[in-house]
Amino acid sequence: MTREALGEFEQMVLLAILRLGDNVYGVPIVDEIERRTSRSVAPAAVYVTLRRLEQKGLVESWMSDPTAERGGKARRCVKVTRNGLTSLRDSRRAIDRMWTGLDPKLKRELL
Amino acid sequence: MTDRPPRLARRLLERALPRDVRDAVTGDLAEVFARDCRARGVSLARLRYWRKTLSFSGRFLLERARERARPRLSWMDVKLGFRMLVKHPGLTLVGTIAMAFAIAIGAAAFEFLDQVVHPTLPLHEGSRIVGIRLWHAAANGVEEQALYDYTTWRGRIQSIEDLGVFRTVERNLVGADVPGEPIMTAEITASGFAVARVEALLGRTLVPADEQPGAPPVVVLGHDVWQARFSGDPGVVGRAVQVGTASRTVVGVMPERFGFPRSHSLWVPLRLSDLQFGRRQGPWVYVFGRLAPGVSLAEAQAELTTFGMRAAAESPETHEHIRPEVLPYGQTVAPLFDELSPRTFRSINLFFVTLMVLVCANVALLMFARVATRRTELLVRTALGASRGRIAGQLFAEALALGSVALVVGLSAAGFVLRWWLDVSRLEANGRLPFWYGDRLATATVVYAGVLAILGAAIAGVIPALKATARGLDARLRQSSAGGGGLRFGGVWTAVIVTQVALTVAFPATAFLVRQTVVQIQSVDAGFAAERYLSASLEMDPEFARGEDGMIRAAFPEARFRATLADLARRLSSEPDVAGVTFADRLPRTYHPARRIEIGADAAAASGDDGGPYRAGVASVGVDFFEVLGAPLVAGRAFHSGDLAPGARTAIVNASFVSSVLGDRSAVGLRMRELPDEPGDAAPGPWLEIVGVAPNLGVMAGDPGNTAGYYRPAAPGSVLPGNLVVHVRGDVAAVAARLHALAAAVDPTLRLHAVARMSDGDPTMWLEFDFLFKLLTLVSGIALLLSLAGIYAAMSFAVSRGTREIGIRMALGADAMWVAAATFSRPLAQVGLGVLLGAGLTAALVVAVAGGVSASGAGLVGAYAALVAGVCLLPSIAPLRRALRVNPAEALRGDG
Repeated sequence: MTREALGEFEQMVLLAILRLGDNVYGVPIVDEIERRTSRSVAPAAVYVTLRRLEQKGLVESWMSDPTAERGGKARRCVKVTRNGLTSLRDSRRAIDRMWTGLDPKLKRELL
Repeated sequence: MTDRPPRLARRLLERALPRDVRDAVTGDLAEVFARDCRARGVSLARLRYWRKTLSFSGRFLLERARERARPRLSWMDVKLGFRMLVKHPGLTLVGTIAMAFAIAIGAAAFEFLDQVVHPTLPLHEGSRIVGIRLWHAAANGVEEQALYDYTTWRGRIQSIEDLGVFRTVERNLVGADVPGEPIMTAEITASGFAVARVEALLGRTLVPADEQPGAPPVVVLGHDVWQARFSGDPGVVGRAVQVGTASRTVVGVMPERFGFPRSHSLWVPLRLSDLQFGRRQGPWVYVFGRLAPGVSLAEAQAELTTFGMRAAAESPETHEHIRPEVLPYGQTVAPLFDELSPRTFRSINLFFVTLMVLVCANVALLMFARVATRRTELLVRTALGASRGRIAGQLFAEALALGSVALVVGLSAAGFVLRWWLDVSRLEANGRLPFWYGDRLATATVVYAGVLAILGAAIAGVIPALKATARGLDARLRQSSAGGGGLRFGGVWTAVIVTQVALTVAFPATAFLVRQTVVQIQSVDAGFAAERYLSASLEMDPEFARGEDGMIRAAFPEARFRATLADLARRLSSEPDVAGVTFADRLPRTYHPARRIEIGADAAAASGDDGGPYRAGVASVGVDFFEVLGAPLVAGRAFHSGDLAPGARTAIVNASFVSSVLGDRSAVGLRMRELPDEPGDAAPGPWLEIVGVAPNLGVMAGDPGNTAGYYRPAAPGSVLPGNLVVHVRGDVAAVAARLHALAAAVDPTLRLHAVARMSDGDPTMWLEFDFLFKLLTLVSGIALLLSLAGIYAAMSFAVSRGTREIGIRMALGADAMWVAAATFSRPLAQVGLGVLLGAGLTAALVVAVAGGVSASGAGLVGAYAALVAGVCLLPSIAPLRRALRVNPAEALRGDG
């Protein structure tokens, strides 16, 4: 079956979840992407992407206990599913294949 | 200032965010807000919260809009759609017929018009073949006398190769085994065959040497002529035949279906050395060629424009306003349809798209009724979270399944309609449709039909879905599920039903009027034993002669034509099976030109139904016309040779003329004259003395039913068109064959057309009426079918929707009459309004065709409208019975 290709931002969100480990939710994911990529990220874009990834079955979510700091609202924690991991690996392989053998050429061009 | 996020922003977020992420997002933002308060202070934190609120609201609103707009179509939906077709065979049948009809008519029209406007020549690189015409900018028309210009272009134009020219003539082919009609012949330069790039089937095509002075005269035969006239003789090449007045040697036979340059069956070389004409003189010709490799149409046009400007400068008296134009070949050589511009083409297609929309609006009505019966299913699906787009997608899939079946049926029917249409056009054009017209549907047409089907499915599926899933659906469905209302047929559906019923009334009436016209014309009595008479139309080519001013002009050879006809009549009369020969420009039971006439002051003024001068048909006939037809005059005398003398102005009127124009007064001795069509256009004609009254001999003067006519005496060959009438004693077919032989012997350039027994009439005359009648009958049938289905759907829906109310009323003691009135008041009003509208349309139509409606006619229209209303109400019977059988207890049980 042909798997739908992941976009760059989707990959970033999935990788951020993997890096952060268990009980990860929206706020730290935004922080992690901003810290690692050194660029500003619209939090809303992260939440929209998380929702789409869940609809595609690449992440799954569950609600934690509510806290007072959050106005009595629970956190939606997420983790990458097996399909999500496979998609990430496929995307990595595709990019690697595209890069293969290009380093010398790039070096020449830069020189 | 509190350290809580702004309340308004929170409210906005809660409204903008989808339910599944609302708590998580607002919680996360509250957490970030608390962190910002600690790090940056409350004011800045509130500002950042607002910024995030706007960002989240915008993104998620956009996301929701995108999800709603995206039709949720799955393979399961399509499968379900086909299952629904089987489950609801009535809707499937009606919907398929209706949509297939619209697709078939639209696709056939697209194909036919596309062949006219954007013809594809079935020749090698046919799209590079071009025609060149001279456009007269001041006269806003085509200047056909382009022979001189062609000679100036030939050999000089670089952008067009194999530049050639042809003209069309009709020639008798003498020397073939079987005589027949004159053949459409192309006098063409040899380059025509180079442009077509088609080799001869037998022998060779024309070559440049054939155009040279002194070259042996040759002819190339078309496949149809070779088969029909020479029985496909493989040894025909080298045989001598006479084409018109010239003896020519057959040098080749072209393959089947080859008709270049238009629809020709004989090709003879055009010898330019014989045609030394000056600027804008000579015969009408068409110039053609093939774009040189790599040259575009625009580049060729640029070069031609240069030539045109040069000609205008050199000879402003003839070429000041002449603009040479290079066009795709089919647009210059198909004069039958050259008035059809691309804009007209688009307008016609728009009409058929509108027809599709109208038809599908009706199918949508049926689909909506079906949706209404599935309200429980929709309610459950909505409760389970199905979006509006998801439900619309499913209904679209169901309509698409219907549309795909209709597409298959419609395309098959379109092929049939196209062949029928082409047959009619071909017959009307004496078989001379351009050779590139084909009867197979092009890929573009199939795609167009597919687009129509999708459009139809979108209308028939999505509109009911949107109506059924409009705002407040939940409450309405719940209400509906309790049997108390919910979905309702609103203004749109009312308009659809009313229009439908109105058309159901008007279409059959139109078909009836067309049929009545045909019957009236066909029932005109010839007034003589037409089966014993043979008629033929006679033609001759114009001759070119140099006038006193030195200009060469074409002129009809009147003297030669007259002498030829006299000779032919003499020879025919001496045949043992021929009892008499005469002439007329109009034959009985054909249209006669209607003239406005005035009766002399000594008689009552003749006036027509509109109070203006009466119109009567006129025919010019031989002096022995009535004698040869065996139709003795009712009063007065017949024509004699003295009536042909200069200054003799006599006429014979027919019996209808006497009764309708003169009010049965004695006609003989009265004077009459022709008036111009529009007062003041020209002076009235000379006064004519009525010398006799003839019986009615099939005069048809324009309007159906007007058989008043009069005859003027004419010498043979003095009037055109020249029709020969032969009274046959023996075998008519044998005399017809003899007529061909005698005509060829008298003058090979005399052409005979439409040689037929007079009782057979003109077979092409009824074709348009017949086509229109059949089309209207089909449209009427489909309109009636849709109306009946629509009314049934509306009635059933009304009963279903009103079950609870009916139950309550019946429980409270309401009688059957109340039930019937309450349930059907709205559908009945719709049918009544539609019938009234349709009756009005019908009456307007009758007034337009017949000039007015008599009392009996109005009664007839009323009776007809009542009949249609009765038919339209037939589908109400079953729903009415269902309403009357509603059990109050069962109806109210669903209330809980």
